[in-house]
Amino acid sequence: MGDSKKRDWSAYLFILPAGIIYLSVIVVPVFYSFYISLFKWNGIGKKEFIGFFNYIHLFQSDPIFLISIKNNLIWITLTILITMTVSLGFAVILNKQFRGRTFFRGFFYFPCVIAPIAVSIIWRWIYNPNFGFMNQLMKVLEIDFSQSWISDPKVSLYAIFAAALWQAVGQPMILFLAGLQAISSDVLEASRIDGASGMKQFFFITVPLLKESFVIVIATLIVSALKVFDVIQGLTGGGPNNATQMLSTYMYSQTFQYNNVGVGTTIACVMVFIMMVVIIPYVLFTAKED
Amino acid sequence: MKGKRGIAFMLATATVISGVLGGCTGKTGLKESESKTEQTKSQSGGSKEGVTEVSFWTLNTRQNAVEPIAEAFNAANKDMKVTVSYYDTDGIKDACKVAASSGTLPNMWFNWGGSLGGFYAENGLSYDLTEYAKNNGWADRFSSGVLNLCQLSGQLSGYPTSYNVLDVYYRKDIFEKYGIKVPETFEEFEAACAKLKENGITPISTAGLNGWHVMRFVELLIEHYAGSELHDSLNTFSTSYNCEAVISALTKYKEFCEKGYFPEGFVTTDPNDTKMALFSGSAAMDIQGQWYDGVIVQDEQDMNLYGTFAFPSGGSDRLSAFAEMTQFNAKNTDVQLDACMKFMDYYYNEENVKKYAEYYNLPLPNKEAKMPEGQPNVADMLAAAEANGTFTITDQAFPTEVADALFNVQDAIANGQMEPADGASKIQEAIEAYRAK
Repeated sequence: MGDSKKRDWSAYLFILPAGIIYLSVIVVPVFYSFYISLFKWNGIGKKEFIGFFNYIHLFQSDPIFLISIKNNLIWITLTILITMTVSLGFAVILNKQFRGRTFFRGFFYFPCVIAPIAVSIIWRWIYNPNFGFMNQLMKVLEIDFSQSWISDPKVSLYAIFAAALWQAVGQPMILFLAGLQAISSDVLEASRIDGASGMKQFFFITVPLLKESFVIVIATLIVSALKVFDVIQGLTGGGPNNATQMLSTYMYSQTFQYNNVGVGTTIACVMVFIMMVVIIPYVLFTAKED
Repeated sequence: MKGKRGIAFMLATATVISGVLGGCTGKTGLKESESKTEQTKSQSGGSKEGVTEVSFWTLNTRQNAVEPIAEAFNAANKDMKVTVSYYDTDGIKDACKVAASSGTLPNMWFNWGGSLGGFYAENGLSYDLTEYAKNNGWADRFSSGVLNLCQLSGQLSGYPTSYNVLDVYYRKDIFEKYGIKVPETFEEFEAACAKLKENGITPISTAGLNGWHVMRFVELLIEHYAGSELHDSLNTFSTSYNCEAVISALTKYKEFCEKGYFPEGFVTTDPNDTKMALFSGSAAMDIQGQWYDGVIVQDEQDMNLYGTFAFPSGGSDRLSAFAEMTQFNAKNTDVQLDACMKFMDYYYNEENVKKYAEYYNLPLPNKEAKMPEGQPNVADMLAAAEANGTFTITDQAFPTEVADALFNVQDAIANGQMEPADGASKIQEAIEAYRAK
């Protein structure tokens, strides 16, 4: 009895290297960022303590910050609704037996390995209103429609989302595919014998059994949606007139272009807070259900 | 069991100790002097075995010249080594800011004058070259105009590398085809735009991603409506931007947008791509600096098709101008500064300038500088700048956040989201917010 209660201190030594790295590159910078957010600081000169003024200023008198939050929330919603649905759809199709299945798995995963900034360059050309593929395609098809895809503030955010979707589908698709392959064929067979149709089988057997995949996919999609940066910066730089401004791009501008390091880190802290507010209850809720 | 545990304990302890110590010193077993050398190198270049190593950040548009020149320099100077990193126009601004915040600026970096270079001078990050210039006779070597533009926050903040003036580049063949004369008044300029548009040609090729290319046109409109004195006063924030002249300029800009005088969707297109419309003949004009002759040469276009004229803003038709320079890290040791200067002098020597002419913004800002061969517009533009006078380009006159406010106003007006009067007011708000910082 006494032996089982004895701590095995050597185990702690094994996690010590990873713990030190985690503390130094994650935990300490997070707390340091929060500390900096309480100051007015240009990144070089003397810090001036101003308490929570940066937070109050952003929420009360910075319209660009509020636009950024709105855009991030739209992006998160679109990501959950569209990216997740499309990737699940692809995973279900690519889980079936058909000729060329391996090729299509690679084909749909391929954009995922391209650097996001390269994706933005590709899509900048696709969307170019004068020489771009989209408007030229309309011309070839003799459709009298041309659009300034990323210059029109009403459309730009959604046009960029379409570009990001092209790249973002691969990763969750693979996670769903792994989840689908883990479902026992006996369960599906049994439901078929019990008379479940294809749709019923999908919604009442497959989807519930993919619960663990959904948890990880939704959590990672929310995180990536909240910190989306490269594709926005490469395509519009947050423009036109902040129509595609995101918290990450605004944080970057404030910190590195305007030298408002205090304001920039405040935005970073708000991003972390939003992530925690959205993800922690979700993961806790799903864990509780288990 | 105990034996295994003991071995595991020892292994783990060794891992932790070597990891922690490794993290502290970079490389275990380094002698103190070597360790210090490594630290210096990571900060701002360094010296190794008698070799002075210095780092240089510059524009990727010059890579074809800088790369072979740096190689030749390193080969000819065994006691020095220059390592070059390349960035695009906006990338280098950001990279330097990030490096400044983290204390990792290179030994020397390309920069512009005005507020962009001024940041480094104000914060004591760039080397004050006043003494160096005095001891090395820069007053006899560089033009006084460009040395003045490199004076930032009371210090000579950089090695002047070019003095740029902006003009309207136009397609002579297109103007000729439609019987358009080079405009001498603003009304003639508007008439030329109308005629080009009637004939299916986009009058002005511009691109709004990052804002500064469209700004080149907007600032000329402000010059037209404000006149030189008021424009200078606006750019030094001595007069409110929320004034009649700015509102009139923004109203005219709105009119040009509505009439389709700029390419479709220009608000988010890349400034590097404005040449495509001009070179293909789908647009007739582009506001560019004298370096554009070099671009025409690099892209193997027929130079005879391109001419320039000063925008007829009225008064003396001033051109916007800006300086480019190489700034040096304030932490440079004397040896490092000497290596940097030696490289700069080598880079800008007559032989290299001649060999890679299209990758330099010629002429050099030296006294009695030679005009580049095969770039006929350069001499005309500099003569126009001399005769008409210049004003500081707006994104160098403004701090970045105020310039961004102007860029947002440009976008919003182009997209019909904002009225010119609101735009002028927004810019002034940004100026006041900046001043209150």
